[in-house]
Amino acid sequence: MKMRALTLPIVAGLAAAGISPATAQELAIGLKSEATSMDPQFHQLSTNIQVAKNIFEALTTQDAVQKVTPGLAESWEAIDDTTWRFNLREGVTFHDGSEFTARDVIYSFCRIPLVQNSPSPFTIYSAGIADMTAEDDHTLTITTKATNPLLPTELWSLAIVSADTLGAEEEITYGPDGTCEGMGEVPQAPAFNSPDVAVGTGPYKLETYTRGSEVVLSRFDEYWGGTPDWERVVMRPITSDGPRVAALLAGDVDMIESPPIQDLPRIEDAGLKVVDALSNRVIYLHMQQLEDAPGISGTDGENPLLDPRVREAISLSINRDAIVERIMGGYAVAAGELLPPPMFGTSERPVDPYDPERAKELLAEAGYPDGFSITLGTPNDRYINDEQVAQAVAQMLAQIGIDTRVDASTASQFFSRRNDLEFPIYMAGWGASSGDMSSPLKSLVATYDPDTGMGPTNAGRYSNPEMDALLLEAMSTIDDTKRDRMLQEAETMVLNDYGIIPLHYEQTVWAMKPNLSYEPRVDQYTMATKVEPASE
Amino acid sequence: MTEIATNTPVRIDSPSKRIAKQFIEDPVAVVGLILFGLVALIAIAAPWLAPQNPYDLAQLNIMDSSLPPGETSFDTEMTYWLGTDQQGRDMLSAIMYGLRISLLVATVSLALAITIGTIVGVFAAFFGGRLDSIIMRIVDLQLSFPAILIALILLALLGRGVDKVIMALVIVQWAYYARTVRSSAMVERSKDYIDAARCLGLPSRRIMFRHLLPNCVPPLIVVATVQIAQAIALEATLSFLGVGVPITEPSLGLLIANGYDYLLSGNYWISVFPGIALVVTIIAINLVGDRLRDVLNPRLQK
Repeated sequence: MKMRALTLPIVAGLAAAGISPATAQELAIGLKSEATSMDPQFHQLSTNIQVAKNIFEALTTQDAVQKVTPGLAESWEAIDDTTWRFNLREGVTFHDGSEFTARDVIYSFCRIPLVQNSPSPFTIYSAGIADMTAEDDHTLTITTKATNPLLPTELWSLAIVSADTLGAEEEITYGPDGTCEGMGEVPQAPAFNSPDVAVGTGPYKLETYTRGSEVVLSRFDEYWGGTPDWERVVMRPITSDGPRVAALLAGDVDMIESPPIQDLPRIEDAGLKVVDALSNRVIYLHMQQLEDAPGISGTDGENPLLDPRVREAISLSINRDAIVERIMGGYAVAAGELLPPPMFGTSERPVDPYDPERAKELLAEAGYPDGFSITLGTPNDRYINDEQVAQAVAQMLAQIGIDTRVDASTASQFFSRRNDLEFPIYMAGWGASSGDMSSPLKSLVATYDPDTGMGPTNAGRYSNPEMDALLLEAMSTIDDTKRDRMLQEAETMVLNDYGIIPLHYEQTVWAMKPNLSYEPRVDQYTMATKVEPASE
Repeated sequence: MTEIATNTPVRIDSPSKRIAKQFIEDPVAVVGLILFGLVALIAIAAPWLAPQNPYDLAQLNIMDSSLPPGETSFDTEMTYWLGTDQQGRDMLSAIMYGLRISLLVATVSLALAITIGTIVGVFAAFFGGRLDSIIMRIVDLQLSFPAILIALILLALLGRGVDKVIMALVIVQWAYYARTVRSSAMVERSKDYIDAARCLGLPSRRIMFRHLLPNCVPPLIVVATVQIAQAIALEATLSFLGVGVPITEPSLGLLIANGYDYLLSGNYWISVFPGIALVVTIIAINLVGDRLRDVLNPRLQK
């Protein structure tokens, strides 16, 4: 494991307080993918969130290393296990001049379940809120249904919109799961394509949103946090890697996200700046642990993946260092856990060794001395070099006798096929938005149960009731030390079972003109507000 | 030629002999034919010629990935004369196998499309009337869409795979043959020998396939040579776009696509060599096809 990759390199972002007029006027950013809507409550997708974060704010914020800091709430305290009091910032105005009050917060939370056709709704955060009351305009009490120590962390995901702009009535009463009163006619996501509706408190105002072409933001001069650095920001989706790099080299854009790793030497040779950070995203293999898994042959109809020895063999057959070195060009870190240590709930478990001989022995012990055939599903445009990594995994599995066919498809297709359990084994990634271990455990390995919302992304259908119980207990434990220990224990249970196989943590890379600075973010977001003119 | 005595008995060559004779008069076409023969030979003999089986994942090693041409493997003695791709696949072997897939897809789809197109075309011409109108409107409809669009839609529905690419190519191409065969059959149909056959009371099937069809073959050959080159290019395009053959069994188009991401970073060999192989193959076929067109065109006969 390389030391460079472990430390989080931080670019000195000591921008001068004033703006140097020569450079700090317009900022153009080349994005890898396009936001699907300007409604910050529509689609829980990093592509959307990173654009929305410039326009809208939340009660809390997270810094580059996912530490929770005050946002629109100046401070907060837990009154008891389920009640929190938030003191809202005073003197904050929306882009259209209306004042920010507790009513806007209640309206925003009420609107979340009313947003229609969301491909990935924000209700997973709002559903746990039992009640909200405004003691006065700037004091808000939130009651949760169950103990939720992560509430301040989760609040970062819930953007605050303007109640007045969206046509709410004077009095809004909170009711859980879309039963609020006084909401008026709630505008749906397409309405937010207009700057008159997409009104937030953030440092930038939406100027225009042209689908397929660009998002233009302009400076909000009355921003409570001080005058933003850029007068105008253009965010342009350039989905192909080559043209995105070319646009940066040609000076069409000032900064790009996710430059292809193989092009980094060329970018640096051209005198441009490259920054990178270890992300919270783990790339993993999930194996279908049901009796009748599809896509497996040579086993007389049995599912070999039900045997932990086979799963261990798969893990041991993978040369993670080779993948990191040869395919990721060193811009990744071999993973032994579901979240990179030292993040919350990690146990510093060592990375599984590369031991193909032992893997073959394990396969033989499990009754498959000649291996079997299997299909490995992977997206081909979602994660860094995903298709290449999957092929390398297939190669390594072939070497221990597991004949592997790679079935690569575009992300949307892959995810729906994966959710239909079409793949006996698949590769995907998980970024822990909350920055703590409960996130991957809850989504990836908790027993699948649509009623309780546990295991929504557990398409391997791994199930360990003991782990489930421990995880639930951890999720309602306020004491950090205790929770940390419980999460570590729960994760260790899963990994000892080889219920899921971590491959590597992605490293996120940005390239920009030398006169800019960007503090690389663990959450992989590219946010215009955090791009600063570098001090010379 | 003036020496030929008037009383020398005139030797009339068989048509195929005449065609062969005229064909070799053009040296460029001969070069094309030789090149195509070579390509076909490499494609057929790839499993015996290639230093590595690039489709057997167990033979690849990721530690050999992206080696420039002429480098040696890190653990075996093998030299990669054309370099390796990102998966450590020997490019020389990959190109040989890629040619094999490209030619296989093209010839199989060609054979199927010709069969279907010919039968449909002859039927349309021979029976005429409403059947003819219906068939030809279908052909018109299909030809009015770009081939690549139809193929893309089909593959999006069918999924990846060599068999699926072949199916898509057949569906895209049959209309060309149907139209060609129909138009020449229309001309032949009104000729006296068909009337004569009818008067003899021969069954329609026999007239169609024994009398009419053989006289429609020359234009068919010309269209086929042009179309086979197009089929190869179309398969390469589809694979390049990522909807063709599976990624672990790359054809030329997919090899080019794999290397495309690396072109700007200096690893030119992943794209360039398969690209050259593709260009040579298509040019060779086109040279042969052009000459055949000239030779078979009655208007250009001396």
